[in-house]
Amino acid sequence: MRRLLVMCLFVAAAVGCGSPEGPPVVAANLVVTAPGAGMPMAAGYLELSNQSGKDVRINRVSSPEYGSVEMHETVVEDGIARMREIPELEIADGDTVVFERGGKHLMLMQPVGTPETVTLNFYSDDVLLLSVSAEFTASFD
Amino acid sequence: MQARKLIIILLLGVAIAAGLALALRNAGEPAAPLAATILPAGNDLPDFALVDQDGQPVDRTVFEGQWDLVFFGFTHCPDICPATMTVLGQAKRELEAEGRQPLPRVVLVSVDPERDTPEAMARYVAYFGDGNLGLTGELDELGKLTNALGIFFQKAGSDDGAYGVDHSTVVLVIDPQGRLKALFTAPHDVANLVHDLPLIMADE
Repeated sequence: MRRLLVMCLFVAAAVGCGSPEGPPVVAANLVVTAPGAGMPMAAGYLELSNQSGKDVRINRVSSPEYGSVEMHETVVEDGIARMREIPELEIADGDTVVFERGGKHLMLMQPVGTPETVTLNFYSDDVLLLSVSAEFTASFD
Repeated sequence: MQARKLIIILLLGVAIAAGLALALRNAGEPAAPLAATILPAGNDLPDFALVDQDGQPVDRTVFEGQWDLVFFGFTHCPDICPATMTVLGQAKRELEAEGRQPLPRVVLVSVDPERDTPEAMARYVAYFGDGNLGLTGELDELGKLTNALGIFFQKAGSDDGAYGVDHSTVVLVIDPQGRLKALFTAPHDVANLVHDLPLIMADE
């Protein structure tokens, strides 16, 4: 899996990116699959580490390149894949949550035009915790 | 002292002979599959009427004449379906690189015919490689195929167009006579497929 450098663009001022305290939530290994022909949506995978000193809750993700972004989880039980939305993601202080194939993932729907890069904004209520940006992977490889 | 040496030499000789015999016996056995469950007799497929990605009607004979790797999924599935289609495509390419013939066809049967038109299936299956087949159609006809093969699928979530579909993750191997010959359960692995498929396909 090709891994791309995650670029921290903006974090809420109180705990801003590059601030002396450091960002509250750090992203790594962001991969967003290219929405190929016939694929009405894309999937995003990354690792989110909470370095804020307190527990955080992510309950909204947005992207200027997509009309809707949802956190989902694929669970395979008894050979059946069931995908369910994660309305809220709790990350305890010091913990890392991994979004990976066949598990938690971001579902990016309703693309705006034909984007070449994607920016993802993670919120706790109305507070922007983290903004990351990456190019698409060339394929699902 | 001489007798003791003789006994040791005899025991060593017996051990070496036993080891050689075991090795020779195992060398004659066919390799075992790493992941696949093989059905020696093969199970016939039921009658059904679906359409392919060109909108052409197909029945059970669409699975005759070539080996098929069949997965049941849908084009609005962002995670496990494209991942599985990618694994199947990679396995096929590796088999080709090894010079294996014939190569299996990759088939996606939609469990979401409400949204998966033939056009949508055509774009989707083409994304994962040349020669892939996509099937869709009416729910009751789809049910004939899935019920006979033990494939589960069920719409999940809202009816606002953003629903998902829970579905089986198994990959079925259909032989050129149109019989279910083997199956792979998830998680799917390219190396396992590349190892097991020649074993399955050698038993036509």
